[in-house]
Amino acid sequence: MFPKPIKSYSSKAQLAYKFALPIALFLWLLPLLAIFMTSIRPVSDIATGNVFGVPSSFQLIQNYSEVFAKTDALRYLINTLLIALPTMVLSVGLACLTGYALAVYKFRWALPLFFLFVAGNFVPFQILMLPVVGISVKLEIINTVPGLVMFHAAFQTGFCTLFMRNFIKALPFELIESARLEGVGEFQIFWHLVLPLVKPAIAALCVLIFTFIWNDFFWATVLIQEDSSLPITVGVRTLNGEFVQQWHLISAASLLAATPPVLMFFIMQKHFIAGLTLGATKG
Amino acid sequence: MSTDVTGSNNRFDTSVTQLVIGGVVLALCVYMLIFVINTTMVQEFYGYSRQINARVPTFFIRMGLLLVALASGFFCITGHSYYKRNKLAVAPWLFLAIGLAFFLVYVIVPIFQSISYSFTKWNGLYDINGVWTGEWVGLHNYRVLWEDPNFWTSLKNNLIWLVLFMLAVPIGLFIALFLNQTVTGIRIYKSLFFFPFVISQVVVGLIFSWAYNPEFGLLSEVWGWFFCEMKENIVGNLTRVCSVEPPSILGDAKMATYGIIAAGIWPQIAYCMILYLTGLNNVSSDQIEAGQLDGAKGWKMLWHVVLPQLKPATFIAIVVTVIGALRSFDMIATMTQGGPYGSTNVLAYYMYEQAVGEGVGRYGYGSAIATVLFLIMLVYISYFLWRMYQDEKEGG
Repeated sequence: MFPKPIKSYSSKAQLAYKFALPIALFLWLLPLLAIFMTSIRPVSDIATGNVFGVPSSFQLIQNYSEVFAKTDALRYLINTLLIALPTMVLSVGLACLTGYALAVYKFRWALPLFFLFVAGNFVPFQILMLPVVGISVKLEIINTVPGLVMFHAAFQTGFCTLFMRNFIKALPFELIESARLEGVGEFQIFWHLVLPLVKPAIAALCVLIFTFIWNDFFWATVLIQEDSSLPITVGVRTLNGEFVQQWHLISAASLLAATPPVLMFFIMQKHFIAGLTLGATKG
Repeated sequence: MSTDVTGSNNRFDTSVTQLVIGGVVLALCVYMLIFVINTTMVQEFYGYSRQINARVPTFFIRMGLLLVALASGFFCITGHSYYKRNKLAVAPWLFLAIGLAFFLVYVIVPIFQSISYSFTKWNGLYDINGVWTGEWVGLHNYRVLWEDPNFWTSLKNNLIWLVLFMLAVPIGLFIALFLNQTVTGIRIYKSLFFFPFVISQVVVGLIFSWAYNPEFGLLSEVWGWFFCEMKENIVGNLTRVCSVEPPSILGDAKMATYGIIAAGIWPQIAYCMILYLTGLNNVSSDQIEAGQLDGAKGWKMLWHVVLPQLKPATFIAIVVTVIGALRSFDMIATMTQGGPYGSTNVLAYYMYEQAVGEGVGRYGYGSAIATVLFLIMLVYISYFLWRMYQDEKEGG
């Protein structure tokens, strides 16, 4: 283990480390803490300059319900769910198929196609922007939730394929070969043998894609102008314009937008980190 | 013997039935699809499909028909004797078909479309007959780009982003080393340190625009501890009097970019940290012990023994950081919208502004900017693919 375990140091150093940890964490999360404190104080506190002290009254519930009452925050949240969940199902489902094809079959196009998925995954969004708007207009789904889902699902299929292909490649190939010798059909092998084995990968991808899509801002601004279809990230930005200088409401709305992915992360932490650090350990 | 014959007979029979059923359903679906598309065309002619509510169901009907058509196509193909003889050659394409088509249509083809737009002058419109209204102008957009000071500012800012964002890698490593201990509750500390990455960039942007606010933000508060004091004014109210006024970071053309980068690097550090934490978990203790026997300690140990083992983590950290830096859009859109006076523009935001910004609509010019950004990114993509190719060759 590196660095040396703290237990091997003097008790003084151990104590210092134990004190340093919470202080470092406090400084690291200071902006978040401060915005949380702002979201629970009355507006008068901000005006009088009481920004970081104890709030003169705790208005947690008032402020947050004011956000819901004054704005369409609830609809924005529902829209985001309607965008994130179908995208998650579509892209992970498709990537199971493509990843399986690229990992298991040895054909000439396997590696070039795999690289195509990987490369497409890294291109800047701006180069896709105008043609994607064009496609959405042609399919008559511009300005709608399905329009956003279609693009996100297609784009995230690239990342998911990268992940799935590497995951399936690491499975023991003998399993598949022996199943083939038994005369099991190709799709049966995929469905009954491989799919149960890639469950951890599916879980990791679902959490990641959900978070990515939840936090997407660019595509929502590009593909959606209609207020009734906006997701929460764009919604919060719009609120920022409406609530000029009403920082207690802006901060409450921001934290509202941040909560679901944070919850997702804490519940599915293991899968989340496994997904993000893919490739960070193999030689 | 007889069972064998009937068996093969049966198989032949099912294949033919499969072919017929699949073929009929396929034909039906294609016919219906054409019908639906024609109907929406008719609707559009009369202006019915202007409402979103009317449009979405047609989309779902189309997609549903397409799916049924695909399924029957697959059903058809797998019933054919050619498939049975060449299973291993055909099956991968069946598995790939939908995902690959989807990805090609929405990601790969648009790249080339955008590049071709960049040689045109176009405002994004089609005329009433659906004919494209743009004109071919060759390299004109790139020549204009060359002389556009805003383009150079954006490019320069992109470079600043790229260079400063790289700091996320060593800082992430440093925090990972700090946290790589086994004391009670360390797991919670690790996940709390990772927190900023999970939050949307828009929210991070809003948090920091508040923090930078010179009147009542976090920064002005901290500033106040050093330079300000509360005094009673003539009317008797407490007001803040500062010897040096707190800076308005986002309002100052010189500082704004750095302010946004400082906000953007926060989640990026968290990402690098988690990469290194996972890497450190897998550092072999044998080699560290061997290093200790050779008298390596502290920095030397880190540099000669640990870092070489963290190479994959470093590689991925650099790749995601470069991509993060070049993709910076959300932060700029929320914090400054490219201002003040375009000083915080980056290529990603400038392209958006030129193409779909209010009253601009220069699709051709925007595409030229996007193409430049794409070419920069292509350098990194090629490098990444080359590295992957090397790994694949080694892995067999």
